[in-house]
Amino acid sequence: MTRATPTTVRPTDLAALRAAVLDSAGPLAVAGAGTAAAWAGDLQHVDTVVDVSGLSGIVVHNPGDMTVAVKAGTPLRDLAAELAGHGQQVSFDAARVARGATVGGLVATADAGPGALVHGTLRDLVIGMTIVLADGTVARTGGHVIKNVSGYDLAKLVHGSYGTLAIVAEVVLRLHPVPAASATVVLDCPLDEAVAHAARVLARPLEPAALEWCSAGSGPATSDGRLLARIEGTAAALPARVERLVDTLGPGAAEADAGEWEAHASTVRGRPGQAVLRIGARPSRIGGIVGALPGADGPGAGVTVGLGTGVATVALPADADAVESAHLAVHAAGGTSVLRDRPAGFGGPAWGPPPSAIAMLRSVKRAFDPDGRLGPGRFAPWPLENSR
Amino acid sequence: MALDDAARAALARAVGVENVVDDPVGRRAYECDGLTGYRVVPDLVVLPRDAAAVAAAVRACAEHRVPFVARGAGTGLSGGALPVADGVVISLSRLKRVLDVDPVDRRAVVEPGVTNLEITAAAAAHGLYYAPDPSSQQVCTIGGNVAENSGGAHCLKYGFTSNHVLAMEVVLPDGSVVTLGGDSAEQAGPDLRGVFLGSEGTLGIATSITVRLLRVPETVRTLLADFPSVAAAGDVVSDIVAAGIVPAAVEMMDTLAIEAAEEAVHAGYTVGVPAALVVELDGPAEECDVQFEQVKAICDRHGCTRLHIAGSGEERAAIWRGRKAAFAAVGRISPDYFVQDGVVPRTRLTEVLARIADMGEQAGLRVANVFHAGDGNLHPLVLYNAAAGETERAERLSGSIAELCVELGGALSGEHGIGTDKACSMPRMFGEEDLATMGRVRAAFDPDGICNPGKVLPTPRLCGERPGKYRPHPLEESGLIDRL
Repeated sequence: MTRATPTTVRPTDLAALRAAVLDSAGPLAVAGAGTAAAWAGDLQHVDTVVDVSGLSGIVVHNPGDMTVAVKAGTPLRDLAAELAGHGQQVSFDAARVARGATVGGLVATADAGPGALVHGTLRDLVIGMTIVLADGTVARTGGHVIKNVSGYDLAKLVHGSYGTLAIVAEVVLRLHPVPAASATVVLDCPLDEAVAHAARVLARPLEPAALEWCSAGSGPATSDGRLLARIEGTAAALPARVERLVDTLGPGAAEADAGEWEAHASTVRGRPGQAVLRIGARPSRIGGIVGALPGADGPGAGVTVGLGTGVATVALPADADAVESAHLAVHAAGGTSVLRDRPAGFGGPAWGPPPSAIAMLRSVKRAFDPDGRLGPGRFAPWPLENSR
Repeated sequence: MALDDAARAALARAVGVENVVDDPVGRRAYECDGLTGYRVVPDLVVLPRDAAAVAAAVRACAEHRVPFVARGAGTGLSGGALPVADGVVISLSRLKRVLDVDPVDRRAVVEPGVTNLEITAAAAAHGLYYAPDPSSQQVCTIGGNVAENSGGAHCLKYGFTSNHVLAMEVVLPDGSVVTLGGDSAEQAGPDLRGVFLGSEGTLGIATSITVRLLRVPETVRTLLADFPSVAAAGDVVSDIVAAGIVPAAVEMMDTLAIEAAEEAVHAGYTVGVPAALVVELDGPAEECDVQFEQVKAICDRHGCTRLHIAGSGEERAAIWRGRKAAFAAVGRISPDYFVQDGVVPRTRLTEVLARIADMGEQAGLRVANVFHAGDGNLHPLVLYNAAAGETERAERLSGSIAELCVELGGALSGEHGIGTDKACSMPRMFGEEDLATMGRVRAAFDPDGICNPGKVLPTPRLCGERPGKYRPHPLEESGLIDRL
C-alpha cells in the first residue's frame, strides 16, 4: 500500500503555525532548511510537514541588552550578518550554519561547534522560547533577560528533542561582542599527541576559544591530522597570547588562517555516502574511544575531536554493523552517540542504548504529545512511544 | 491529614530510626528557610546518610503518598524549602562528601550537602575552581544551588549553575534513581538535566552532582568607583558593554546600601556617595591589562569621584566583603527588611531605580539597592519596622517591585527562585498556557504531586480560587510577542 504524500504547510506567523497544527490530525514533522533532515532516527510516515522557513526574521534586537528574539525559521547565518553590524554575535559555530541551518533546527538537534569550549551549546545561549505543542497549545518560557529563574525552563526540553516534543516558533538568544581580534594556531600531529598537547594548553592560562583536532582527509584518519586552537581577544593583547600558545605547543606550531576552521566544519559535515556519528565523552577518553572505532582509521574516514569538550564527529564508511558496534563501544566508555547523515535506507541504528531516564523521557513525551504526533521515529530504536 | 504510623515506620526503616527527628522542638528548627516570614513545622524530618537512604525515604513517601520537601542549608530566599504541613522534610545535610576531583577532565563529583565554597576548596590544589558564586557561598549547598539554578556576582561572564552542572544522579518522586546529563555537553535526547536544574526541588532530589571546574584565571583586576549619581554609574556599565568588554562582574550599590555595608565591615567604601560600582576583570594577563585601562577611562569619562584599585588580594577581598555583606548589613540601619530579587533588561536599570525610589517614597519606606548591574539583576532591600506595624506595607512594596520588573520586560526572579514567595505572582509573567505547559512537566515527573508541592506554580488553593484577571505581558502590549 502506498501512503499519501504528506501535505506541506508553510505558516508565516505564530497564528498560522498553531492553525497548521490544529487543522491536521495525524503524525507531523517539522522542516526548516533541511540541513539535518536525515539526522537521528528515520522519520516515519507523517501526514503533515510543517515548513517553518516562512517564520523568519528578527523580532527584536536589543543591542544594549545584548539579546535578540528571532523567529525559529531564521537561518543563523542571516542573523549573524545582521548582528555583525552591531559588533555582536551569537557565540555559536556549528558546522551546518554555513549551509543555512535555522535557529530552531539548531536548537532541536542540539548541534554545536568548536566554540562550545567557552560558550557552551545553544542550551546555554537560549534565554527564552515560544513553542507550539501537538494540541495547539502555545507556551512561552524564559524571557528577554539573561538571568532568570522564573518557572521551568521548557527550552531545555526542546534542546535535543528533534521535533518530538514541540515546534519551536521563536527563540530569544543572549549575544556576545564579536571579538576584536582572533587568531588560529595549528600543529600537525596524530590524535593521541594532540590529546597530550591539549592537556598542557588547558593547564595553562591561555584560555583558547576553541581547541580541536581534525583529520587531514588523506591518510589514516586518526594519525594524519592537525590540532587547531583559536584565540580571541583584543588586538593589543592577541600577539602575546598567540606567542604563548605557540610556545606551549612547541616545535611545529604556527599561526594559520581562519580557513582552517572551514576545513574542520567540512569534515564535521561528512561526505555523501558516509555515516556520520556524533559522539560525546569525557575529554580524557574521547581520543581513545574514537581511535578504537572500527573504520575510524581508514583513509576515507573523517574525524574531528573537541579536545576540551569531549565532543567528536566521526564520518565512517556506511556500514550498519560498524555503526552499531560504535554505539555500543561509546556507551561502554560512558559516552553518548547519535547518527547524523548517512545514505538513504542505511538501516543502522541511530542511537545507542537508551539513557537511564528513558522512562522519564517517555512520561514527558506523553505529557506533551499524548497522541505521538510529532516526529515519529526520531528516537528509534529507543522505546519512547510504544507504551501507550 | 497528619502523617500516619505506617508512613512514620516506613520512613524510619528507610533512613534508620536514629536519623529521624520526631520531637516538636527538633522539627521546629526546620520550619522555614531564609524567607522567614513563612513558617510551617513539618510532621517529620529525616536526615539520610547516603544516596540509597534518600531513595528509600522518597520511596516510602511515594508509597504512603506523603508530601516531602528536600532541604540543604536552608539559605534559600524564596521559601522553596518551606515544609509542607503533614509532610516530611528530607534534609541533605549529611550527604557532605566530595566524591571525586578530576584535574584532567576538570570536574568534581560531590554530594548535595557540600557547600558551594567547599567545591572550590577541594579543587584549589589543582588550580581549579567552581565558578558560580552566590553571596551565601560559604554556607549554601550545591544541592540547593542545583534546585535554584543559583547565580552570583560572576555569572555575567561565567554563567549560572545550569551552565556548570554536567550530570546528576537524581531520585525521582517515585523513588527511582536515574542519571540526568552525562560526561560531556553532548547529550542523547532532550536535556532533562537542564529542566531539572532550577526546578526548585519539585522534580526530584539530586544525590550526586558532577560539576565543571574552571582554571583559576591568571589575572584578576578589581576596582571600586564612586559616582555622583546612579545614572552615571549606569552609563559606565552601558559603555563597558558597548566597548565589547565582558567583565567577570559588575556590581552596583546605592547610597543606603553603601552606608550599611561600610558600617558593618569597614571595607573602604565612601559613605555618602550616591552610587558605587565594583568592576572586576579576569583572564590572561595581557587581555586584562588592556581592558582594565579601558574601564578606568570609561569611569573617568562619567565623572567618577574616587577610583580605588585593589592593590592586593586582601584589598580585593575587602571590596567583595563589602558587597557581599550588604544584605545582612542592612540590619544595622533598619530593624527589619525584605530582600527582593527581580531582573530588568540592563538598559532599563536607571529607569527602574527611579521608579523604585518613587514607590518607596509613596509607601513611606526606604529602599536600599544592591545589584548585579551587568545582567540587570536587582536586589532592592525594603527597610521597615515590624514593631511600628510597617510589615504589610513593606511586603506590598517589595512585591510591587518584582512585578514592576516584569512590566519593564524583565523577570520575577533572577536567582532567588519563585518558591512559595512568588508562586502567586507567576500569572504576571506567564499566561495560562505557559503555566499549564510547565504543569505538564511537573506532572510527568511527579504525577502524585508529592514533591515539594505548592512551590513555583500557582494553585487555586495557594492563590485564591479565582486567579486574577489576565493582564497582558508588556512585550505583548508592545507587539513583540503574541499570545493566541
